[in-house]
Order: sequence, then structure tokens, then C-alpha cells
Amino acid sequence: MDLSALSEAVIQGNIEKAKELTQQAVDAGEDPQILLDQGLIMAMDTVGENFAKGLLFVPQMLRSAKTMQECLAILQPHFQAGSVTSKGKIVLGTVKGDLHDIGKNLVAMMLEGAGFTVVDLGVDVAPEAFVKAVSEEHPNIVGMSALLSTTMPSMADTVRALSEAGLREAVQIMIGGAPVTAQYAEEIGADRYAPDAGSAVIKAKKLVASA
Amino acid sequence: MKKNAKGRKKKKKKPNQVPPSPKGRKILWLNVLPEDMWIKVKRGATVYEALQSRGLDVGGECGGVGTCGKCKVRIITAVAPPGEEELELLTAEEREQGIRLACRVRITKTIVVHTDIAPGQMELFQILKDGHVPHPPADPLIAKHAVRVTPPSLQHPESDFYRLRAALGPRFKALHVSHHCLSELYSNLRRADFEGEAIIHRRYLVDFQPPNSPSGRYGIVFDIGTTTLVGKLIDLADGSEVSVISRLNSQARFGSNVISRIQYVRQKSQGRKRMRELLLRDLNLIARRLLEANRLNPEHVFVAVAAGNTTMQHFLLNLDPSGIAEAPFSPVITEGVTYPAPSVGLELHPNAALYVMPAKSGYIGGDHISFILASGAFHESDGLILGLDFGTNGEMFLGNRRRMLTCSTAAGPALEGARISRGMIARAGAVEGVHVGDTGLQYDVIGNVKPKGLCGSGLVDMVAVLLHYGVVDGSGLLGPEGIRESKELFLSRVVAQADGAVHDFLVAGTEESFYGDRILLTQKDVRELQLAKAAVAAGVQLLLQEMGAGIEDVDRILLAGALGNYVNPYSAMRIGLIPMFDPSRIESVGNAASSGAQMALVNRRHWHEAAEIVDHVEHVELSVHPDFYDRFVREMDFPETNLW
Repeated sequence: MDLSALSEAVIQGNIEKAKELTQQAVDAGEDPQILLDQGLIMAMDTVGENFAKGLLFVPQMLRSAKTMQECLAILQPHFQAGSVTSKGKIVLGTVKGDLHDIGKNLVAMMLEGAGFTVVDLGVDVAPEAFVKAVSEEHPNIVGMSALLSTTMPSMADTVRALSEAGLREAVQIMIGGAPVTAQYAEEIGADRYAPDAGSAVIKAKKLVASA
Repeated sequence: MKKNAKGRKKKKKKPNQVPPSPKGRKILWLNVLPEDMWIKVKRGATVYEALQSRGLDVGGECGGVGTCGKCKVRIITAVAPPGEEELELLTAEEREQGIRLACRVRITKTIVVHTDIAPGQMELFQILKDGHVPHPPADPLIAKHAVRVTPPSLQHPESDFYRLRAALGPRFKALHVSHHCLSELYSNLRRADFEGEAIIHRRYLVDFQPPNSPSGRYGIVFDIGTTTLVGKLIDLADGSEVSVISRLNSQARFGSNVISRIQYVRQKSQGRKRMRELLLRDLNLIARRLLEANRLNPEHVFVAVAAGNTTMQHFLLNLDPSGIAEAPFSPVITEGVTYPAPSVGLELHPNAALYVMPAKSGYIGGDHISFILASGAFHESDGLILGLDFGTNGEMFLGNRRRMLTCSTAAGPALEGARISRGMIARAGAVEGVHVGDTGLQYDVIGNVKPKGLCGSGLVDMVAVLLHYGVVDGSGLLGPEGIRESKELFLSRVVAQADGAVHDFLVAGTEESFYGDRILLTQKDVRELQLAKAAVAAGVQLLLQEMGAGIEDVDRILLAGALGNYVNPYSAMRIGLIPMFDPSRIESVGNAASSGAQMALVNRRHWHEAAEIVDHVEHVELSVHPDFYDRFVREMDFPETNLW
């Protein structure tokens, strides 16, 4: 089945059209896993790439993500229990002293759209809270966000805390936020820097694939 | 004495921060204007190396090997004539103006350079100095009282101070006297033949001078911005402005925003001290120039009022601003304070008082309270006043004497040039306005030179024009598809990036730009502007929501600060930076921070009123507001409607 129309509807953020196409496909007996992977997730990949390039912006990306979620709700009952395969698990949070959550929320939404399981710890997350979440959730990736140059050092503290807890080797660490740079990621011993939500998805996929 | 000894010690420790003493002949110095920075250099080092060593960027892409021709500076001191490379890379005109390549000039004696190479560079920073000051009746913080003192006699053998106090009348029965005043009182009284003026600050006699002395007649107002500093000399007799001087904040080399400066303070053990010294040196320079221009001495001035954002006020008072930089953003103090100017470090009369305006919170500083004070909104009984200040951090207020709300929003960076690829502050070479005329795109460029980049008002105009002609669509996408009119003009300037899908707009080609390079407004720049304007617009919407009002309930919109003054309100509405509103009721009020501080200076009632405003106004914290996210996202698109 040609899923390009469905992908296009998700990319356009056309909720009604996408839902209709999803329902039709389900009614026609299409495999929900294929609809998810080749229709919805591939569309969101394109959305992420276009966002990273600047071709579309936050409102458009959010609309696509919402479209994806609505379609997913239609697919959900058709999956046999436990048969949806997660692309990986990521524990995410804005670091201690920092209350900015918009960028972090976008990353969470895009990662979910790409098939990841996301555990969002919220904002003002202390290093100990990251450590606790990692030991309980066993994620593939830890993602940290900081929007203030004064709270960036908390990222380094968290990396250190994970090392001290003996959990550093168990996870990949990805960081982002306006004042953060690739060089800073290297300095504090994080694995990746992602400049935006679109790039975060691309890099998260690579991190999971390489692990 | 002790102070002097200390001062000398400081000089030895940090020679780059102060003018060197003439004793150090063996050491060579590079004096960098306009910052007036002194850099110790090794003989034979190039100007480029010296500037690099201090982290001063003068441009340059070749790393100082003399091939790119970008590291231009104006050498003010006479130096050896230019060599071959410079002859090739500099025009005859540039050489005539003393412009040289920093990487080709070797330092063999102490020299002075100016890093801005535009002609007439000294006056070309477009800093907003003026504000509209409602002239309150003068009742200044420092008062002068004409007085005739009974000369001592056998009938009146009382002390000089007793007779002076008696002459001032029963109001001053409890008058105190400063030690400094007292130590000069004997001769001052007699020199004036017992008739003169008593200068009184609160309950203290601080000086006695002959009639019409300039002493105590003037006060100074400081507007301490993150980017720019403004000083005004005010005649306290009638509240009028005598002189205004501004300069860029020297702290800027440690970051363009308060967060990066606080970060510096946290990382360096001497950071706070250094920040304070830089600020005080700037303020003292401003004060000295204001006074010199009016043939006055620092000793003539007994009062100054300072208004700045909360962080700057912390630096001024030598308080640790660290708490402001992270949640819960708590400052050391928000109340207005008064301290002896010398103990703060201002070089005025030894008995001078410095008043620092009250703030509301870590991000609602004395500058914003001054804006509210100057706006008169506190006395408005019916209509709502919406005040917007687009500084490095955007602040706004909404309300009147019944209720008033305020919030701050991180809008500034893009609107002041940061995070915009060719963004710059309003200085020589900045495009500050864009028009489309018969001959195509026309730019207003500060300093009448070819453009170097875009400042805030230029950026807003540029994007508004591109929206108008369809080069940018409502979602912020830049491209050739939607161009509606003047197709050839705009098509030729829409440039595809390497992948072909993303487009940028050519503001100036190699022939048109100052540096002979291409100035692009990139797709990402448009995105940054969307974020900035969405933050402001969301703030306005949330204040209206909290007030339970709509934009139709707003009586007037006041725009403060440099951008507020220079931005075209139509363009600001076109991009959605300010809500759609009757343009005749939008007012640019100029440098409102200094206007409010000036009001407090010339009438003490306003000083007290500032504290009442702080109590009256409610702070809305956007970062934890449940609706901020939705509003912010909703405001990112450009509006469809416009008044053009």
C-alpha cells in the first residue's frame, strides 16, 4: 500500500485527513506496525529534518506531532499487547536551577513521534534525580537541557554523578539548549550535542544504533 | 591615605584595567578606544595579537597573517607607514583616515587605536539618551536654602553651626552636620560674608557656599543598561537636563547579557570586583565628562540617582548577583537604597548620596520601575496602560492605579542583534530602517556608511517588508514562491542554500556592503525573530488574561528603550511584536529608565512613589505560568492582518 498520502498528511499537520487515511488503511487490513513505521514515523523523520533546516517551525512541528498522536490512537487497539517495538528509551530533563521546558518538551514530543519511549523528569532536575531515574528506568539515553549559561555546569555535575554511581557506561548522554555547544558536550564528557529537536531525534537514533 | 595606597596596589595587580603610571617606561601599552582599555604588550607584538590576548574581536578571517584584510582598526598614534600587504588591502581613502590592519602594525611604542573604523566613530553609537520627562515641580533630593547667618558678636557668641541652624528657622531645629562640612564651615561662612546657601540632604547640612554657587545645584542620573550606559546632568533648580553623555558598558566583553556576566562572576574569584570596577570606571568617566563640559567639578555634585536592571544594580552596589541567574531567581535586595557615593565608588562630593531605584524582582529592575514611574500609569484611574521595554531582557507592565501587573520575558537577544547572523547593536553600519521605493530596497544606515549588519529596528523592518511582499509567509518560511509584487526586485535577492530547499535573503551584496561581503538575512534569523516576538506577544497576552481584559481595554501603548524608540510601530505590528492597535495611541517614550530616575531626583515625592509602585505592582512569573507554553507557540506565526 502506498503510504505517501498518509505521510504527507502528517507532514502537513492535516489531522482530519491523516486520521481518515489511517482509519481506511486499518479497515483495509493493513499491518499496523507497517503503518506506524513507514507512514507515521517516516513522516515525523521528515518533519524533524525540515525543522532542523528551518523549513518549518515550532507550531507546524507541534501540529504534525499532534496529527501523529491522533493516528497512533487509532492504531493502538490493533496492536497485540506488547508487540509495538520501542526504538529505545530516553530519560529527559531540564537541569537543576533551570525552569525552561519548552525546548525539552519539543524534544520529548519528537522522540515519542520517532518511536522512542520517553521518561520526562520535568524541569529543575537535580543530578541525584537523574541518577535515580537511570537506575530505575534503565534507559538507552539520558537527555539534558539547559537554557542558561549559569545552569550549564549542572550538566557536568550530572555526568559526574552518573559516573560516581557507576551508571555512566550504561547510558549515552545527549545535551542541548541555547547556550550549549558541541565543544561543551565534549568538555563535560557527554556523548552528543543536539542543536534542536529535529537533530535530537536523528542523533538519538544513531546513538541507539551504535550502542 | 589608605585609599591611595590601596589604589596603587590595584594598579600593579591589574595593569590592563587602568591607565598606566608614567614610571613604567619599559612597558608598552595599547590603549583601545572606545572602551578605553589599556593592554600591556610585548615590544614587537602586533595590534592584532594584543587585541586577541584580551579577547577583543576586531574581525579577521585569516588568523592574523595579513591576507583577509578584515582586521581593520583606526590607529590614532603616528606609526610607521603601511607595508605592501596593507597598501594592497586598504583603499587610499581608508589609509587617509588612519585605518590599518591590526595584524600588520607592530607595537614599538605606546599607541592608541580605535576599533570602530567608521568616520566620525566617536558619535556614532546610537544610544538612546533622551526620554520624555514630565516636569514635576522641583523638590529635589538635595535642597539648597538661601540663608543669612548672624555674624558672631558679643551678643551672639554662639557657635557658627548654632547660628546657621537658627537662621534656617525652626524647621531645621534637629539639623545635623557632616564632618566634611563642619571642617570647612569657619572659612566658608566668612568667605561668603555670612550670606549664602545651605545645602541640605535629609537632616544633614552637607555644605555651605556663597550665593549662586554651582555647588549642590546639579544632580546626576545614571541609566545603567546591560549594553549601554547613559548619564544626565540635571539642574535641580528647575529639573531640566543640562547635558547627556552615553557610552557602551565595558562589561560587554564578558558577555552581552546579564546571565553570562553573572556566570563570569561565579567562575572567577575576582569576577565581581572586576565587574564593579569596570562599571564604576565607566560611570565615573561619564560623570567627569558631564561635569567638564559644564565647567564643574565632582565636588559640586551632592546627589546621583541610578536605575538599572537588578543585576546591574547589584554590580553597582558590589552585591553578589548569583541568585538571579538560576531558579528561583532571587536577588540580594530589591528595595531602593541610599548610600554615600564615595563608599559605592562614585567620584563626586565626599558627602554626596547615591540613590539606587527600587526593583521588584530579579528580572524587574529599577529601570522598569522607573519606566512605570515616568509613564504616569500609577496615577491613571480608568484606561489600562501597556508599557513595553525591549531591552536585552524584555519587560512589560499593564494596568493603572487600581491594579498593575508586570512580567519579564527573554526576548532581547534577537532584538539586540545577538543570535542573528548579521545582527549588531545600533552602531555605525547598522541598518536601522528599511523602505521599498522606486529605486528598490532602501536602507537607513547609522553613520551613513554602507551596511555592516542589522540592528533591532532594521531587523523588524526587514522582516515586515519581506512579509508584505510575500518573501516570508505567515509560518515564517522564506522563499521565492509567494512573492506578490516587485517580483524581479525580490526574486533576485532570494538566495537558495546549498541543498536548494532552504532560502536566505540577500540584504546587501558584495558591492553594497561595508566590508565587501554578502549580508544575508537567513531563514534561521527569521526563526530567531519569531521566537523573540512570540515571547513578547505571549507576555502581553498573559498580562491581559491575568487582568481579565482585552487589547480593546488598553488606552495607550508606551514603547520604551532604544528599540521602542526607533522601531516603526507599523512594522512591529506587522510581525506581531506588538498587538494590532490604533497607531495614534502608540507612544515612544524614549529612555524611560533615566526619565523615571530623573523624576525621583528632582522631586523626592517621586522617589517615595517608586517604592509605592513596587508594592502596588504584581509580578507574573511567565516561566512557571501554565498557559505560557500555549501562548508562546501560538504567537510564533506571523499575523495575517496588517495596517499597511
